[in-house]
Amino acid sequence: MSTPTRRVDAREKVTGAARYGADRTSPDLAHAVFAVSTIGKGRVVNVDTAAAEAVPGVLTVLTRIDPAELGSPGFVMGGGYGFQSLQPLTDDRIAYRGQPIALVVADTLVAATEAANLVRAEYEAEPVTSDLDAEGAETLVQEEAIPLPFLADIVVGDADAAFAGSAVRIEETYELPRQHQVPMELIGGVVEWRGDTLVVHEGTQNAGALRGGLAKQLGMDPAKIEIIAPYTGGGFGQKNSLQPHVGPLALAARRLGRPIKFVMPRTQTFHQASFRPASRHLVRLGADETGRLLAAVHEVDQQTSRHDLFPSMSTEITSRLYGIGHFRGRQRLVRTDVQTPGFMRAPFEHPAAFAFESAVDELAYAVGQDPVALRLANDTDVDPVTGQPFSSRYLAECLRRGADMFGWAGRTHEPRSMRASDGSRIGWGVASGVYPASVAPAVARLTATSEGKVTVGVDGHEMGQGIRTAITLLISEDLSVGVDDVTVDVGDTRVAPQHLTAGSWGTATALQAVHAALRELRKHLNVADSDPVDVGAAVAATGQTSVEVEATTIAPGQPPEIIERSRAGLVAFAGPVYPGFTAFSFIAHFVEVRIEPTTRRIRVPRVVSVADCGRVASPVTAASQVRGAVVWGIGASLRERSEVDPRFGGFANATMEEYPIPVNADIGEIEVGFVDKPDPMLNPVGVKGLGEVAMVGVAAAIGNAVFHATGRRLRRLPIRIEDVL
Amino acid sequence: MTAIVRGSGGNPANAADEDVCLALGSMGSSESTISSAVRTETTFTVNGRSVRVELDPRESLLDVLRERLGLTGTKKGCDHGQCGACTVHLDGRRIVSCLTPAVQVNGQAVTTIEGVADPDGTLHPLQEAFIDNDALQCGYCTPGQVMSGLACIAEGHAGSDDEIREYLSGNLCRCGAYAGILAAVRETARRPNSPSSEG
Ligand code: FES
Ligand code: FES
Repeated sequence: MSTPTRRVDAREKVTGAARYGADRTSPDLAHAVFAVSTIGKGRVVNVDTAAAEAVPGVLTVLTRIDPAELGSPGFVMGGGYGFQSLQPLTDDRIAYRGQPIALVVADTLVAATEAANLVRAEYEAEPVTSDLDAEGAETLVQEEAIPLPFLADIVVGDADAAFAGSAVRIEETYELPRQHQVPMELIGGVVEWRGDTLVVHEGTQNAGALRGGLAKQLGMDPAKIEIIAPYTGGGFGQKNSLQPHVGPLALAARRLGRPIKFVMPRTQTFHQASFRPASRHLVRLGADETGRLLAAVHEVDQQTSRHDLFPSMSTEITSRLYGIGHFRGRQRLVRTDVQTPGFMRAPFEHPAAFAFESAVDELAYAVGQDPVALRLANDTDVDPVTGQPFSSRYLAECLRRGADMFGWAGRTHEPRSMRASDGSRIGWGVASGVYPASVAPAVARLTATSEGKVTVGVDGHEMGQGIRTAITLLISEDLSVGVDDVTVDVGDTRVAPQHLTAGSWGTATALQAVHAALRELRKHLNVADSDPVDVGAAVAATGQTSVEVEATTIAPGQPPEIIERSRAGLVAFAGPVYPGFTAFSFIAHFVEVRIEPTTRRIRVPRVVSVADCGRVASPVTAASQVRGAVVWGIGASLRERSEVDPRFGGFANATMEEYPIPVNADIGEIEVGFVDKPDPMLNPVGVKGLGEVAMVGVAAAIGNAVFHATGRRLRRLPIRIEDVL
Repeated sequence: MTAIVRGSGGNPANAADEDVCLALGSMGSSESTISSAVRTETTFTVNGRSVRVELDPRESLLDVLRERLGLTGTKKGCDHGQCGACTVHLDGRRIVSCLTPAVQVNGQAVTTIEGVADPDGTLHPLQEAFIDNDALQCGYCTPGQVMSGLACIAEGHAGSDDEIREYLSGNLCRCGAYAGILAAVRETARRPNSPSSEG
């Protein structure tokens, strides 16, 4: 087990020294602002830029780019690079409210902002469709619309017959809202040309896609594009692909011969980037009188855009939560007039687990079973979908330890049976979470010097999850070098391909490559595979001042040529089903809610979460990730909802004041535990993912606690005061 | 089109301007527009150093710090006074620099995150406590949290956990590092010589 250590880049962060994309300054910097569509759908007939161009300091106002000059980046889930395939400014079509209609570049930000506000447009507006059931919404069966094996409906046995024959049946529908990621760092950065090389400084989870996508859009050699993103100020899925502002900025910077800074105004981040789509989940559970699960049906309707099919992978986890012999999934996509939705922390798993784990709680009450006992009784060691073993599965231990830490034994089963001295209703709820353990290809380049310093450049992006700390710890422990002697370069296409860091595969992926590079280094230094090494002396003994090694790793079962996809900036991960085993991370959440007697305000004073993420690679940052994910779960279940006025489309509460992410006063105690048992199959370091599983199930645990407090089963998020009056 | 003015409180140049109009409704940036670029010479200190700048009255202190003075430790998270990422101290009091026209700080003293540690690199105890309690993840909100945390202690608002949570709730952290932030401020406030422990 690792020694707890401080976050290695914390000093830079508490002193303001850490440099994010937009922190780059240079004397000849120009500033960009986009003017955006005020209609939700239709056509731009005319854009009047005269007033904008007359503003002193304005360098250019761009309203139309020839598609030959700037092509589509392709959709990241459709073999491309962009959060959506649509590239604004390349034709007159308006597909969503907030779509850019002009790019203004000026000497100063105030001039660019003033000019953008003066851009006037005439439109031909068309009716907008926003909601799943609205007229004009088009529903597709996912497996027919996108015939790819991993997006097909999961079917095991005959769930409908088994459900019909079950003694106890639960059938309910759960609704989850659109939500936005709202990372604190605004989207944007600095785009500049150095000779014929395009350099982009921008916070991202996918520098590889920025490079590959820009090469495709601009018809360039990817070798002439550098993406530099050592720090990303939060991504949460919103920064997982190429955004459509970068291409136009690259063209403008080339024409003007000046670097351009662009910092997207917060309101525009709600419209010019992805978001969590609205979804609806029908869950049927069939069980015997003891609560033994016999059958489950999970049908999903999930919002997408007109121009892309953002797929759902909701049933991948609900089919694995428990040992259910008969399962039938069905995933449908509903086309609406919006920018393409996308990944937001636990993108499918948070909504799916809210639905499924609420239904499991309903079952526990239907059969009069304790909700923890019922979950334990339905545990499984075998993946019910493939029949393969799980590489590791300690969900039962998460539940048992969590129950202990929380004091679950002191709970009374009846709803409305617990009350605080101030009259608040108390509710205790539990839920499980599971998330696929994926791995992606990675390249690690490791240099050791005769001074005993080690530097590694590797695939991965540091967006706060602590990947830099985890890599540093691995090297430090492996070679017995001090953490201060280790330098980690991530988020930079000059040192590695920079495959997408998402889906909780980042740490496992990078550590596996660094582990392989360390083995390579030991071979070069002629030292045994596990002993402590005096790195400086060993390097000096080779007669060199430094030794450089490189290792490339892939996921179990992947063909070696998969690395070429990664080098091209394309998504190339594998999992959770590998040859011979299936890999998931697990978690159990225990939540106390209190509902204040007069205001009926719902508070969450206390949460206990126990995770099975394999070996804990970096205990300090891992615990922070779990606490952060619990905060996300609290926001997702009690606060956050992106409001839409169906007459106009777009998002109505697109500010940080009106889109209510949790604040400090919303958060109570969050106690975190880890099983910390290495996964023996997934990779040699024994690490599975953590950042997303940690959010999965929080919302259900809160909903279940609200039921326990009030006797009311609330099946639509967020749960608000008006629901518990 | 509705006329909306935001982010211009206290700015005489904007308040006097009749021609304020937001072309993009709720979709655009809500900075107001004025017709000509008046320049005003402004003098103030930043982290003890005197600076003199020619300013467009529409420039926020945040943008001047970041774009003109190269002090990029102060962050922009919303530009609307809603997130706290841009928190700095003005004559010892915390303000959101995105809502502060730079011309308005004429003659005053600004302290940013770059001015918190000793010049020799020794961290302030609150910065140390942020590291010890892992009160950060991506780090983007952190400069603002530290500046607000310092002010919270100096104001005597660090008496209890609930009070700290309340007085730091103007600083959003999307990574959810709130428990660590609370612990760091609590720990620092309880040190001998801190205003809260004296109070
Ligand atoms: S940037 Fe000033 S409060 Fe958000
Ligand atoms: S540390 Fe990322 S927003 Fe606070």
